[in-house]
Amino acid sequence: MSTIEASPEVGHDEHGHDHDHPPFLAHHFDTPEQQFDSGKLGIWLFLVTEVLFFSGMFCAYAIFRALRPEVFEGCSQFLNTKLGAINTGVLLFSSLTMAWAVRCSQLEQHKGLVGTLAATLSCAMIFLGVKAIEYSHKFGMGLLPAGLFFYDPSNPHPTDHPPYLLYICAPFALALVGVLIWLVVSAASGNKFQFAVAKPLSVVCLCFFVGVGLGTVLESGEDSADHVDVHADPNGLATASVMLEAEKSAEAEAAPAIAASGAMVPVEESVLEILATDPTNVGVVSGLNALEQQTAAAGTSTVTGDGEILGAVTTTEVDVMTPTTAGVFFSIYYCMTGIHAIHILAGIGVLVWLLVRAVRKDFNRQYFGPVDYVGLYWHLVDLIWIYLFPLLYLIR
Amino acid sequence: MSAGSLPSGSQVRDPGYPTPSENYLTNSKGVLSWIFTLDHKRIGVMYLVGVTVAFGVAGLLALLIRLHLFQPTGMVFQGEEANNWYNQVFTLHGAIMVFLFIIPSIPAALGNFLVPVMLGAKDVAFPRLNLCSFYLWVFGALFFVSALCASGLDTGWTFYTPYSTTTDSSVILATSGAFILGFSSIFTGLNFIVTINTMRPPGMTWFRMPLFLWATYATSIIQVLATPVLGITLLLLIAERTMHIGIFDPEYNGDPVTFQHFFWFYSHPAVYIMILPAFGIISDLISVHSHKRIFGYRFIAYSSIAIALLGFLVWGHHMFTSGMSSLTTIIFSALTFTVSVPSAIKVFNWLATMYKGSISLTTPMCYSLAFIFLFTIGGLTGLHLGTLATDMHLHDTYFVVAHFHYVMVGGTLVAFLGGVFHWWPKMFGKMYSEAGGRLSALLVFAGFNLTFLPQFVLGSRGMPRRYATYDPEFAALHQMSTWGSMLLGFGLLVALVVLLRSLKSGKRAPANPWGAATLEWECTSPPPFYNFERAPTVGDPYDFSNLEWDAENERYVKIEPAREIVPEEQPVTEPVHAEDSK
Amino acid sequence: MFALMNNMPNLLGDQFASKFAWFPEQASTFAAENDWLFFFITWICVLFFIPIAGCLFYFCWKYSKPKGQKAESNTAHNTPLELAWSILPSFFLVAMFVMGARSYLDQRTVPEGANNIGLKAFKWGWTMDYGKGVMNPELHILVDEPTKLSMRSSDVIHSVFVPAFRAKKDVVPGRYNYMWFEADVASEQVSEAELAAATKENDGEVWDYDKWQFTPDGYKFFDLYCTEYCGKNHSVMQTVVVVHKTVEDLDAWIKQVSKRPVDQTPEAWGEKLYNQRGCAGCHSLDGSKRVGPSFKESYGNKRPLADGTTITADEDYIRNSILYPKKQVVAGYQPVMPSYQGQLSDDDIASIIAYLKTVSDYGPKAAANTGEEQTSTEE
Repeated sequence: MSTIEASPEVGHDEHGHDHDHPPFLAHHFDTPEQQFDSGKLGIWLFLVTEVLFFSGMFCAYAIFRALRPEVFEGCSQFLNTKLGAINTGVLLFSSLTMAWAVRCSQLEQHKGLVGTLAATLSCAMIFLGVKAIEYSHKFGMGLLPAGLFFYDPSNPHPTDHPPYLLYICAPFALALVGVLIWLVVSAASGNKFQFAVAKPLSVVCLCFFVGVGLGTVLESGEDSADHVDVHADPNGLATASVMLEAEKSAEAEAAPAIAASGAMVPVEESVLEILATDPTNVGVVSGLNALEQQTAAAGTSTVTGDGEILGAVTTTEVDVMTPTTAGVFFSIYYCMTGIHAIHILAGIGVLVWLLVRAVRKDFNRQYFGPVDYVGLYWHLVDLIWIYLFPLLYLIR
Repeated sequence: MSAGSLPSGSQVRDPGYPTPSENYLTNSKGVLSWIFTLDHKRIGVMYLVGVTVAFGVAGLLALLIRLHLFQPTGMVFQGEEANNWYNQVFTLHGAIMVFLFIIPSIPAALGNFLVPVMLGAKDVAFPRLNLCSFYLWVFGALFFVSALCASGLDTGWTFYTPYSTTTDSSVILATSGAFILGFSSIFTGLNFIVTINTMRPPGMTWFRMPLFLWATYATSIIQVLATPVLGITLLLLIAERTMHIGIFDPEYNGDPVTFQHFFWFYSHPAVYIMILPAFGIISDLISVHSHKRIFGYRFIAYSSIAIALLGFLVWGHHMFTSGMSSLTTIIFSALTFTVSVPSAIKVFNWLATMYKGSISLTTPMCYSLAFIFLFTIGGLTGLHLGTLATDMHLHDTYFVVAHFHYVMVGGTLVAFLGGVFHWWPKMFGKMYSEAGGRLSALLVFAGFNLTFLPQFVLGSRGMPRRYATYDPEFAALHQMSTWGSMLLGFGLLVALVVLLRSLKSGKRAPANPWGAATLEWECTSPPPFYNFERAPTVGDPYDFSNLEWDAENERYVKIEPAREIVPEEQPVTEPVHAEDSK
Repeated sequence: MFALMNNMPNLLGDQFASKFAWFPEQASTFAAENDWLFFFITWICVLFFIPIAGCLFYFCWKYSKPKGQKAESNTAHNTPLELAWSILPSFFLVAMFVMGARSYLDQRTVPEGANNIGLKAFKWGWTMDYGKGVMNPELHILVDEPTKLSMRSSDVIHSVFVPAFRAKKDVVPGRYNYMWFEADVASEQVSEAELAAATKENDGEVWDYDKWQFTPDGYKFFDLYCTEYCGKNHSVMQTVVVVHKTVEDLDAWIKQVSKRPVDQTPEAWGEKLYNQRGCAGCHSLDGSKRVGPSFKESYGNKRPLADGTTITADEDYIRNSILYPKKQVVAGYQPVMPSYQGQLSDDDIASIIAYLKTVSDYGPKAAANTGEEQTSTEE
């Protein structure tokens, strides 16, 4: 009876590598194919999680749009379709350059790889620049999520707001300055590698401001046409929403309840009006709104003894620019585009890392996985925007 | 032939014991070698320590709850703020247990250690992602601790709106912590799916994998698909609190019940994340300690995947009284019944495995028996809750509390303990006291039943959940439950002491102390840091025919039949027809 | 432990048929069916559990063998057996589901002509709306008549649970949820003597329902709990259900609580409202700061408001705070008080104001006291 004990094998060279264990192959993988397949499966799984992550918000969008379609139509007017279209085009182009980059890495075209990665990054920055204009513009006008909403149709462009655009651009300006300094320093100290990285990065950072400029030019052209008082589509929708408003004046401060209790009406109404001047009394404001519209809508109809309603229901203009209605639209808008923008930022970070590795010539025809995986991620980010754009900007 | 002597002439294969420079625990020294390790085994050990600490904290909170409920007017917290204290304690007990212990425990602590070794691989597919998962867990835990220290948390672990959007406590800190923990969970699941898909050794087809890997695979699918939805739900909650986006607020045309739908869409599959790995452990434990092939392998494998997928369809059964339409409610009830069938069949399969086996009543086996008993009760009481009419009475009472503790504690925790006792010799190279281990199993079993059986009655009698004080008629049952919890706590302490003592003074563990046939037992105990020199030969994971007990060395060894030299005769030295030519 | 169980309080009016009853008393038309279904499921579970546990322990004992001995058999399949134990339980499951769904549909379908009572849940109490401005925390219904509750919450999600009726439904802010039940057991009434004795001993304090096990009007009751966690006083957010034998009895009670009794002073009525209508949960009487300011420093005091101005808390301020609470919030407090618009009559409000005058340090009584002190120190 013999016992066989395991003994350490001797077969590695001095670096501890087998001859067929190239440096880009991680130690726990047996072959480059296994490594590539693993990475590919991994990134696809990650993309599935991303889709599920966004699906919650698409759900919220679907629910709210089904309940209040006129709100969505009305508020969509505030979104600049031109800028949205430019962003869509820019992202589509960046997907193209990204796919091109993958091809370059497969063909070991290092210069091409760096160039296409830089192009992708630049497009991403332009996207963000345009977004900065859109956001800062809306912040200034008070088109914010429901709780912070303060848009006033009579004064759509208040000038006394903080310089939002400046705040948003500041970090990017800092980055640009930093990169330019790095460029100069590396050129002066003769560090070729750092110079080779800093050069495309400075173009990339500049592109953010190209985007800002583009946005400014196009926004100002649209100014007069865009921000008219918004009226919802009349008829059934209007009266339906009026009745919904009346129901949903939740708190007992609601006008209908007072009307029902009879004698106290005149006194309560004036108190209500006082309360309505305070914008935090959302329920009262909605309630008064509802009462007005209800009176207007009911004005021309009479109920006969056998339950019929004679007369036409006049069309009323429903003001949708209240926190409870438009505010919800903008909540969804900011949530969806905001989280999307965060993903763009994350993508930019990863692409910069890829750029550095590309300059270092890490990739070859056997090892281009990371470029491929980031490419897949980028395509998903682009795809999500392709869904967002029509759903938010092209509602009419 | 008496058991314990090895057949003569056969060859024994046993990897022996590792040298200190090979042993993964000692091959590199210093705190930094642990903090920056990429070795999945070390990461598993760090997780084990982490989840044990979390369990300790949440367990102490549980004891505090039971002590407080010893008296109808509350025994521990007094004064104006008594109820607030109680609310915080039960919230944190739930949140820490669910997010920091039960969900990560088996996959992260045991799975990380075992999955590559069971596959004969050197590591998981993405070791750096693995370490990242661990640090996300730590980070998330820190957020919870900071929420504790800030304004506390008093929303219940379920964070129902509008209470969670309007209360003053540190909801944002806690939900951020849970969000981060979600990513830890997602990355772990992602890692395991890729590892099992691409790194199986030659010969290990899908149906030659140990069932623990099937269970891990199914769990990972749920982790990857469900957790992102929790992520977005918590983000929306944070957005609601900070920016008042209005989605859950009726003031802004939102619906508070929407939160419940989003939340339970994740949290119901989450309970399957908790129980599927437990099923995997029990399948392996029962088979090994009965020294008999698992009964119905394919079915157990398929049922794991079925549970994973069906589990996504039943979230509404947490909301039967919330005001959903009758049709929706009925559909959810029907689907809930379908998901109970695969679990039931697993229990029958395990029993059939034990039938005519060769059972050793070791500590892991004791825990497995406790599991079958307790999980069956938990699962069966789920039927009362899935049936609509009875749920109208039982929802949000102590009946529900008893039910989920039976499946989570009596199920997952007991299986986790069984797994820890089973793989402890492999992980740390030490054997523990069997007597101590079996005692702990008995104490845990008795204490647990005494704690939670009375709660079924409490709930049926109408005692609602999350009550800090209660009507005097419920007192006797509550007191019984509190005594039981003390016993349970003591039993768990015994288990901890037994394991820790083994580290100091336990016998050296052989490579295969239990006689299992899966690959992790073919390396030394503890394994070398590289797991295997070369990919081991894959056999049938449940074929015990060539494992023999070597009584002299107290270990199981793999026996290969005696080899014969062929041809038997010595080779001829002369040409065959040499004589003819003479 | 047995001593404990024998000494277990078996309080009067508390609803267990025996010390070892599994369920509370069956007091509604749902209860019998529900309990039957519960026990049906339980017996099926026992039917499966006993063999499972039996096999478990039996196999352990019978097949326990020394280490190294091989298993007696290695069969890993038995298709007929596997099919049997997959399909057979399914029949039971279908039965449970069908019976459960049927009963549930009955419980969801409100019958025609049910008596509709409004229910408002708030942190941390209940208000039942009997129509025509009559509100009371106790739920009084008629025996053998279907009662429908139209429920809404003014703040967070609560849930109505009456164990004796086996009825439960969540109460959600922003919408109405409906539930119905039909009580088939009337509440007993205690004797006049007992009621008088209890009233005397209670002596104007908040009525201790748990101690007396009957209402201040002398009816035994069924518990109504809040069963969806709603914050600090979730565990004490309870009220009672009283089932009246005759409609005259019920109407008499409603009339009695609809307004201040002729012989009761406004201050006493105001105190009753303070305790019954949810003020006590957020406003203390002893100066301690809760969700809202204490009434000890309320009436007659100068209060700084959240918007920076200062007002004196006179009758007008109190009235406005009850009807439009978010208008003038005291500095340091959140604007979370729900409005009582339409839920309190003018007399109710006046009574509350009268009561607040008596408890405030700055009210007329207090002023009279300090006046006396001043005169005494002057001497």
